[in-house]
Order: sequence, then C-alpha cells, then structure tokens
Amino acid sequence: MIFLVAFFLVPLLIMFAYSAMPRGEYGGVERGFTLESYQRFFVPIYLTILVRTFVVSMACTVICLVLGYPVAYAITRSGRWKNLLLFLVVLPFWTSFLVRTFAMIFLMRDTGLINTWLLKLGVINEPLTILYTPFSVMVGLVYGFLPFMILPIYASLEKLDNSLLEAAEVLGARPAARFRQVTLPLSLPGVVAGCLLVFIPALGSFLTSDLLGGAKELMIGNLVQNQFAAARNWPFGSAASFILMALVLAAVIIYLRMRDTAPAGT
Amino acid sequence: MTRRLPRWLIGLVLAVYLFLHLPILVLVAFSFNASKFSVEWTGFSLEWYRRLLERDDILHGLRASLIVGLVATVIATLLGTLIALGIARHRFRGRRVLEALIYVPIVTPEIVTGISLLILYVLIGFPLGLATITIAHIAFCISFVVVVVLARIEGMDRSLEEASLILGADEITTFWKVTVPQLWPGILSGALLAFTMSFDDFVITSFVAGPGSSTLPLVVYSMVRRNIEPSINAISTLILVGTTVLIYVADRLGRERAH
Amino acid sequence: MREDLSRREFVRRASALGLSLPVMSALFAACNRDKPDPVLEDPERELGSLERELAIYIWSDYVAPDTIPNFEREFGVKVTMDFYDSNEEMLAKLQAGARGYDIVVPSTYIVEVLIATNLALPVHHRYLTSWRNLSSVFLNRGFDPGNRYTVPWLWGVTGFAYRRDKVPDPPPSWEIFLDPRYRGKMTQMDDGRDVLGSWLRYHGHSLNSINPSELAVAERDAIAAKKNLKAYISAPVKGQLISGDVWVAQLWNGDAEQARMEQPELGYVVPKEGCTIWLDSLVMPRGAPHPRAAHEFMNYILRPDVEAAISTATGYGTPNHEAIRLIEHPVPYPTGEEMARLEYQRDLGRDTATWDQLWTEIKSA
Repeated sequence: MIFLVAFFLVPLLIMFAYSAMPRGEYGGVERGFTLESYQRFFVPIYLTILVRTFVVSMACTVICLVLGYPVAYAITRSGRWKNLLLFLVVLPFWTSFLVRTFAMIFLMRDTGLINTWLLKLGVINEPLTILYTPFSVMVGLVYGFLPFMILPIYASLEKLDNSLLEAAEVLGARPAARFRQVTLPLSLPGVVAGCLLVFIPALGSFLTSDLLGGAKELMIGNLVQNQFAAARNWPFGSAASFILMALVLAAVIIYLRMRDTAPAGT
Repeated sequence: MTRRLPRWLIGLVLAVYLFLHLPILVLVAFSFNASKFSVEWTGFSLEWYRRLLERDDILHGLRASLIVGLVATVIATLLGTLIALGIARHRFRGRRVLEALIYVPIVTPEIVTGISLLILYVLIGFPLGLATITIAHIAFCISFVVVVVLARIEGMDRSLEEASLILGADEITTFWKVTVPQLWPGILSGALLAFTMSFDDFVITSFVAGPGSSTLPLVVYSMVRRNIEPSINAISTLILVGTTVLIYVADRLGRERAH
Repeated sequence: MREDLSRREFVRRASALGLSLPVMSALFAACNRDKPDPVLEDPERELGSLERELAIYIWSDYVAPDTIPNFEREFGVKVTMDFYDSNEEMLAKLQAGARGYDIVVPSTYIVEVLIATNLALPVHHRYLTSWRNLSSVFLNRGFDPGNRYTVPWLWGVTGFAYRRDKVPDPPPSWEIFLDPRYRGKMTQMDDGRDVLGSWLRYHGHSLNSINPSELAVAERDAIAAKKNLKAYISAPVKGQLISGDVWVAQLWNGDAEQARMEQPELGYVVPKEGCTIWLDSLVMPRGAPHPRAAHEFMNYILRPDVEAAISTATGYGTPNHEAIRLIEHPVPYPTGEEMARLEYQRDLGRDTATWDQLWTEIKSA
C-alpha cells in the first residue's frame, strides 16, 4: 500500500512543486514560489492546443470503439481460436514503435506502397497525399490504441453468462434485440474501460503526431515534451501537465460518482 | 456456440487484423532487404540477421527488456488484480480517492512521470539500473491492469462465489477455484496490455535507466539520429516468430492438459 | 455517515499535503547530493590507477565497429554503452540527478549549459598525450575557451541536401524554401534553433540573436516557408530523399553524405548567407566513477587511426588533422572564407523561452 502511494503520489507532488517554482536559467528550477507558469498557459495559443488535443483524442476513441468492439465480440465467439486471435491483437506491438511507424510511412508516403499500387491499378493518376495529414495522424493513433480498446471489451464480454443469451433466444428475441438488450449492457463496463484507456493516454501522445503528421502541429504532449527538452522550462511543462491532469481527473471523478450512485446493472 | 457470425462482421474483423499486421509485414520484409535504408527493395539478404550476432547493444537491450517486461508484468498483474478486488469488494475510507488515483499514471505525460521518478530515485539514493526501470514500469502498468480487471469484476455475478462458500469451501479455495477462473479474461487482458506497454516503453525508461541497463527501445530510439539499421527489423522478426511459437506450444499444452 | 467522514478526512489530508508543498519544494531545490571531489575538480591533480570499467553515454552508431572492442582489449577495461536520442534529454537526465556515466557527448551549446550548471568536470590534460593531433580550427571555441572541459569528437554543418535530378540548379541560399515551385517537396529540421537560425542567417543576422525585431522577421519567413514544406523532419528524412518524396531537405552534411552513397543524385549546399557549424565533444560529467578510464578513452580516440575509422564510419568530419591523412575522401575543413559564414550555436540562457515561444507560434501557424 505505502509503496503504491509513494510511487504514484510523490512524483506527482514533486512535479506539482516544480510547476510553482521559477524557471532555472539553464533548466531545472530555482527556489521560490510563483504562479507565472500557470498564468502563461491561459492564452489562445496554448488553449487551442489543449482543445485540439481533446478533439483528436475523442475522435480516436470513437474510431477505436467502432473498430474494436466488433473484434472483441468476434474473439469471444471464436471457440478454439480465441487465444490465438487475442494474442494476434497485441503481437504487432512487441516490435519497436519506431520501426512500425516507419513501416507505416513506407506505406503511406507519396512514393510508398499504397500509392504505387493505386497508380499501377489505374485508380489514380497522381499520387495521393496521404502522409503528413491529419488523416495519417489518426491512422497512427488508432493503430496504436486499438488493443487498449479491444482487450478491455473482450475481458468484460467473454462468456460471462451464456444462460442469459440462451434464455433470450428461447424466448424468441431476434439477434439484434438479443445484442442490444443483453450483450451490450453486459459489455458496458468494458466499453467504458476501453474508452478511458484510449482517450486518456491519447491526450498525452506526441510521437505519432510528430512522425506521421510531419511535426507541423502541436498536441499538448508535444508542448510538454518541448518544455522539458529544448525549451528547458520545467515549471511551464509541469504546469501544462497539471492543467491537463486536473481536467481529466475531474472528469474521472465525476464519472465515478455517477457510476456509484446509479443502481447496479445486474 | 456454433451460431455463425454475420458476414459483414467477419469482413470487418479481418480488415482490422489486416490493418494491424500490414506494417508488420513490411517490417519483416525489410529485414531481408539488402540496403541499410528501409526505403526500397534492393535485393534479398540475410546480412542483418548475421549482423545481430555482432550487435551486443541490441542483444543486451533485448535481454534487459525481457527481464523488465516479465517481472513488471507478473508483479503488476498480481498487485493490480488484488487492488481491483479490494476496490470493488470492500468499502473503506478513501476508496474513491484511490480509484481516482489509479488514473494518475495513465493521464500523466510520460516525460513528467520519467523525470519525477528520476528525481525521486535520486532523492532516496536508489542507484539507477534494471530495478529502477522495473519499479517504474510496475507503477504505470498496475493502473492499466486495475482498470481492465475492475471492468471484468463489474459484470461478474457473486452468486457462484457465495454458492461455493455455502457449500463449505474456504475462502482461499473459493478464490482460486471460482473467483480467479471467472476473472481470468480480465487478468489475461491486463497482463497482455501491461507487457506490451512495458516492452515498448521509451520515454519513462530513458530517464530511469542506469549505466549498462538500456532496454531495447532505448537502443532503437537512439538510432533515429543516424539510421535504424535493419538489424532491428531482424530482431523484431525473431521476436515475433519466437513468441508465436511459444504461444502455440503453450496453447497446445494447455489444451492437452484440459483433456 | 461513512461518506461524510471520508470526505472530511480527504479534505484534511489534502490540505496537509498542500501545506507541506512549499517545504518540499525548498527541500528538492536545495538537495544537492553531489559530493565535491578535489582530485577530479583540479585538472592538475593526478588521477588514480586505471579502473576496470567505463560507462559511456552517447548517440547510437557514433563509433566505428571496432573502436570499443579494440579499446577494451588494449586497456583491459569493460565498456558499457548507453544511448540517448537528443542532447536535451541527456541534459535533463543529468540535471535531474542521474549519475554514473563517465563520458557524455554533448553538442556545441549544450556544453555551455553543462559547464554553467556545474555538471562538467575539467579534463586532466596530462593524460591526453595525443592532444597535438587536433587541428586548431576546432580548438578553443567560444563554448569552452581553452578546452578545459571538452575533447573535440566530430563536426558538421547544417545546410541543405537536394536531389540533383529534381532540382537541377538550386540557388545556394535559404530562399529556396520560399520557392513555391517545390511546394510540398521540401523539409526543414524539426528543431527551433535550426529553423529560426536559418531564417536569421538569411537576413544576415546571427543565429544566436535575441533581438526582437530580427527574430520577428525570421519568424515571419519561417511561417512563409512552412507553407512550402512537406514536414519538419530531422535525420529520418534521409529515407525520403533517397526515394524522391523529398527534393530539398535541411540536413547535416554527414547524413547527406550517407544518403548520397545510396542515392548518387544527391547534392549538398552550404548557403551563401551562412549556416550552423557544430562540434560534438567528449565531456566527463560530474559523478563519473571511472575518471582514469575516461581519460584513457579520450586519449585513445585522439589516435589518428582510431579517429579516422570513426570519421569514415559515421560520415562526419574529424577535427584531427593527423587522422585526415588516413582517410580516402575526408570531409575537408571549411576554408577561411567559408568559416566567416559559419556560426556555432550558443546557449541562449533566459532567452531560450523567447525562442520556444516563437517555435510554438510557428508550429501553430
């Protein structure tokens, strides 16, 4: 217990302290107390970055849900192939992120595989600009976060209680109704978990936007990364992180309140 | 359950799997490419597999990543499952705070976690090395395990456990023979996610690694400035093949035992 | 009832934490765990006997394949190599308190920061018997007068590479990035110093300028150029230069040379308005556990044959004039005329924040 509190809470407090200290000349912090880092954040340029990050992350979450739920459902229905299919979902991610992303660049760039084939097949006359667009960034984000949606949904869908479904079938409910009224509600905790595990880390992502977006736009992850690296402004980086975290934690706490006060589903 | 799935569903699922594995096929193909730049196919070659034997840095990195990954996954899964059970089943003071706290590692940008953990280690005088990396990984993996297992618990029916207790089994037997099997998809999913995140983690690891303890991602990322040699593709391919074989064997053994 | 109790409890504990924050922050800032070491800090003093280990923290692929094995064999020292992918990350890690590395390889202005924050230890020149192999062109630079802390390693310039077959006659100037004919086929580096620096030079200003009006003009041009850019990419752009997706790329000369070996249709330009010249150096950071081994290594790489191998393997220029004689196609030193156009990046101190603000604005444009 104490170990957990220490390793979750203390680093957080360190960073919180740093966010309220003046910036050191060469990086790091100096002694003192100031809220200028927080003040600095509340200007249009940084707020736009924050909003854009939220929008992109939400879009990514929705797409992951649309693509991931069917996959999770299919896995639960695949009998003896279950473990293999589950494993195949995460297997790609045991290679290096960079090499995977460069492979995606190879596929999507102007002279890349996709364009080459589309040209050969005569579908297009000129290469499509796929890479370094918001589209390619979304492709990369969805790709990276799909397992975080599929696995939790699978976990809560997996053969909880077939008897409910069988009862529904015996009672004459059609597949769509069976799904809507039995399967879907049972999988809801998994859906929520999946959405949280995609949305929240997506907020902090930065590499995908850089590598597949051509580093032409900033997400809040990029901003924070920059502050600790090139800009050597640790207090501002910490402050930006905290504002992000505060927003998310507030939403999470509200969700937890709602969940606990609502009557139990079963 | 032999009901057939609708065709559109099968199609969609296949498309998603293809989407997930297409870059992997590219990656594997380039491991056999003659050129050191993974740009165009210039010819077949096993050079990069041979080169792996010389690249101590890659091999050490793999070893470090495996050790950290396996240890962190096991511990995070164990602790995470217990915490999830604790949160779901018991009412204690600060329960909701703890549950909200679980989300903190998930929402914190990695560089913030990395630097702050490093500062913590320095403050308490803990020497940097594989242990510091493992602890850091456990810290963020626990969160993911807890969230997944909690979702599983929420859908679970306690009546089976209650029945088991009424029938005379003690708590420990009930736990192992009833609770865990029911939780199993959640535990497995959590473990898979934890290992995946640990094995590929870069930002946090780069800050808490000590001299001599570079993991594979650290080796790979540092190559970006120059060129990511296809030896990395080669080792990735070997990892893919190796784990697939392992899983297949484990699956067969598990099924035989079940009979 | 229970709910109320836990909420109050929570508030009480939270405020206790909040009060302790200023205390903690004072603690953290004050915490300095580095013990002063008179032997290491005085460059005239003798170091101990040769240790059995050496920990190097360096860029990947920055030595020749046999550099380290030969060193290990000859000196009986076991070398561990760890890697970072950016100067700033290495700096942040050292600033946060990580110790245990004997050698780090910072670029130009990062050296200034290491020195100013007391993270660099002086070099004990008595052990660097091969020092005379170094060319005076690269010694005694502004970021470390007298080479108190640094041993020059490799150097390069940051101009731009271009595809000869796609851009037959490029102007030897940064203005090419403003040319709409090549829209969508050009890249600049994903680095605020390099991008703003290029546009400052374009107008004849120093790439270390902190003058607001000079910076404003440079920012304006950077944003204008951004419309023509495919992306901001640093080293990985090599692949796309080779494949022809990118025709003009701001890039280090050594990387361009590497790419040229794969794609002969590549040329390189050092713009007439000038560009960055950079020098990577070996530095012994504070807390180095094996100082004697570090010095033996630094002396070892000053040998002409060792340095020649490193330069050939990495494609970058060597500051070692004895080594140059051993290289078949060496990167020539800049001429006097060229040196007048080339400029080293210096640390901007407090103005780093100003530049960062501009870079954020450019990225958000």
